[in-house]
Amino acid sequence: MPPELRESLLEALQHVQGYIYPNDVSLGWSVVIVVYPYITGLVAGAFILASLVRVFHVKALEPTYRLSLLTALAFLIVAPLPLLVHLGHPERCYEVMMTPHATSPMAIFGFVYAWYLMAVLLLELWFDYRRSFVEWAKASAGFKRLLYRVLTLGVEDVSPAAIQLDEKLGRFITVIGIPSAFLLHGYVGFIFGSVKANPWWGTVLMPIIFIFSAMVSGIALLMFLYLVISRLRRVPVDMGCLRAIGTFLLSALVLDAAVETLDWIHRLYEAEESLEVLVLLASGKLFFSFFLVQVLLGTIAPLAMLGATQVFKERISLRLQKSLYLVSSLLILIGVFAMRWNVVIGGQLFSKSLRGFTTYKIALVGQEGLLMAVVLMILPFLLLIGLVKFFDPWNTRETPPATT
Amino acid sequence: MFGFFARAAVGAWAVSVLRPVKAVAQKVAQSPVARSAREAIQKAFVTAQTPTGYDVHAHHWAMAIDVERCIGCGLCAEACKGENHVLKEPFYFRTWIERYIIRKPDPRSFELRGETLVDSPNGGIGGFPPSPVRKENILRTFFVPKLCNQCEHSPCIQACPVGATFDSPDGAVLIDKEYCIGCGFCVQACPYGCRFLNPVTKTAEKCTLCYHRITHGLRPACVEVCPTGARIFGDLKDGNEKNPVRVFIENNKVQVLKPHLGTEPRVYYAGLDKEVR
Amino acid sequence: MPPQITRLVYLTLAIVAVYFLARGFLVPASFGQYGWYRGNALKEIAALPIRYAGRAACAECHEEAAERLAKGSHQGLSCEACHGPGAAHAEDPAEAAPKPENSRFCLRCHEFNLSRPAKFPQVEADDHFPDQKCAECHAPHSPMQAPEDASKRNAKPVKK
Repeated sequence: MPPELRESLLEALQHVQGYIYPNDVSLGWSVVIVVYPYITGLVAGAFILASLVRVFHVKALEPTYRLSLLTALAFLIVAPLPLLVHLGHPERCYEVMMTPHATSPMAIFGFVYAWYLMAVLLLELWFDYRRSFVEWAKASAGFKRLLYRVLTLGVEDVSPAAIQLDEKLGRFITVIGIPSAFLLHGYVGFIFGSVKANPWWGTVLMPIIFIFSAMVSGIALLMFLYLVISRLRRVPVDMGCLRAIGTFLLSALVLDAAVETLDWIHRLYEAEESLEVLVLLASGKLFFSFFLVQVLLGTIAPLAMLGATQVFKERISLRLQKSLYLVSSLLILIGVFAMRWNVVIGGQLFSKSLRGFTTYKIALVGQEGLLMAVVLMILPFLLLIGLVKFFDPWNTRETPPATT
Repeated sequence: MFGFFARAAVGAWAVSVLRPVKAVAQKVAQSPVARSAREAIQKAFVTAQTPTGYDVHAHHWAMAIDVERCIGCGLCAEACKGENHVLKEPFYFRTWIERYIIRKPDPRSFELRGETLVDSPNGGIGGFPPSPVRKENILRTFFVPKLCNQCEHSPCIQACPVGATFDSPDGAVLIDKEYCIGCGFCVQACPYGCRFLNPVTKTAEKCTLCYHRITHGLRPACVEVCPTGARIFGDLKDGNEKNPVRVFIENNKVQVLKPHLGTEPRVYYAGLDKEVR
Repeated sequence: MPPQITRLVYLTLAIVAVYFLARGFLVPASFGQYGWYRGNALKEIAALPIRYAGRAACAECHEEAAERLAKGSHQGLSCEACHGPGAAHAEDPAEAAPKPENSRFCLRCHEFNLSRPAKFPQVEADDHFPDQKCAECHAPHSPMQAPEDASKRNAKPVKK
């Protein structure tokens, strides 16, 4: 076996507390698997924000509509990579699609993912951008022209009736998209929630917690991106839009915190066999990432800051408001990452003997190391830059607005 | 307006078109050219072996553990590693032995039993050191062999995304290491800690009841070397009156591990204490 | 039918057709033979090599030792419990036979340990004739009896 893995496991063995099953020394799922639900959560959250514009006609959010869709797409493309990287045999990944085992949440995830990518996100973008594609094709030449023409799928009718149909169908897709976004991330929650062997994961609330935390993280990401991109583009921030995002973010955060609190109340009240080891886990091994980062920094602090922007709307300067929004969106993004960490890593730190703990020392390099996780986190942002350049969500190419 | 009926019509049309498409796809896949191409592709992915003269439907294997007979010598865990080429490092075991030491309660308390200590140094291979608790402070102490429970409703099989782990018709939960993608979901799903990811083959691994032995008329290696008969193995489809598993289960009150999870283990324990999980 | 819809339907059909075509090629031939898995896997696992030959295989050649074992208090033991894995030797007797282990080995089972069942015969190795080898007094195949010929058994007092 690889000597460096052997060394690190021998060291972990030295730091085992209590009794763990001997196979529980090493963690099967590492930091890369923390990144995976984090990224799918951001996808779902970003999409929900976009659907607020399209389905619920929240006009204030329009400046971020296309950005939300593109963000969702950029992160969705990267979402399966952490899984692929972590597989022992990535070359066999096609088996998940060829012989999907119907009872396995992970197998069905392949299809949920394909559905969400192709039947929801790409379709919605296509209906939204078809007119622009036609116009951009006319305005450009060579390879770019060909590319735009392929993207229209040969439908070049831009008569008002055709555009109106695009709009209707796009809206229809978004309506399907909302439950699909819930399905996508609820499903990721179910991958953990369905593991009855693990009391830290196996709760019926897990998919719901994942959905709400996804909304929180996705909306926070869009708020952060909107502020940063406006700064980079040197355009003024639309305060109405920012406030609207802030209001939705606050509501989602309240719901998320409420559901997670309910989960803890339920655990404490039912006080099953596993409670003792779980309390030891939260107050010991996870004290920093759970109480300090997830609860204090990631939930209570942003609740206070976002609450302040609501309560003292008139009395604080725009500059301060923007800073509060920026800081709270960053804190939430860190907090939700900590939540994913606490679920994925925390759930493997205690042994299923419920009698002891192992330790996790994050490797720097390697297939499942820290660097890989960082690369996987940077990748969607690079992709987003490309997508923004290509799809031009603010119509700087001086074509009339394509939708709404 | 793109009405409901139009949508329904498109749906019905799509379904009616899809069916012939599937049929055509199947026909294409079964054409001679496609078949030889497919065989070439599959040869690259999987290797077939010669069959043995063994009828998988004529047997149903089961195992039982007599906790009171286990002496914690560790021969079983050692033999298992040898027989199955399990990695020698102390974090990979297909079977292991746990030692339980239950202290006497504090005499001032109303407790019936004191604290429970459990250990399994190197899975019990090489035996156990002397008890860290003095005899007069021990209420009860014993060894418990552990192995894959070959569950009837195995959470690991349920979790496997590709069908690389399965319940064989003769009652063993097995892993197809040529097909396993190494996702580790089964390892998370096993409540008993009986699975691990082999860092060399990068696939999941666990006790097979020594499937390569039992299909050739031998007993599993751990049963073979157990000096005290603490491990009992047999075929439930063997009607012989002296069938060891049947005799044992008829004469003992048996229990399974973590029964509340509904996994229906097929490894039965006699003489189990409530502290064992 | 509007062109947007028809184009998308064709695209969907193409994707579905490619999927089923890929399945036709990539699903292993024996998949589904017994259940949702590769049927050949059963044969492959059953064909793995054996290292412990089993008591019956040993008895085929070593009749005398097997008989002695069957009469004594070690009758429940398999040869390979003490001698080690012998499949290679059973297959080809020219292969070195597994060697029985030394006195330390007896103690793996018989050294006193509080957690062992009380009725199981155990000794405190430091108090129980520490200078002698087990086999000087106990015939390994029938330990409640003395060895038939101690001199042949390589039994020399251990010097400290």
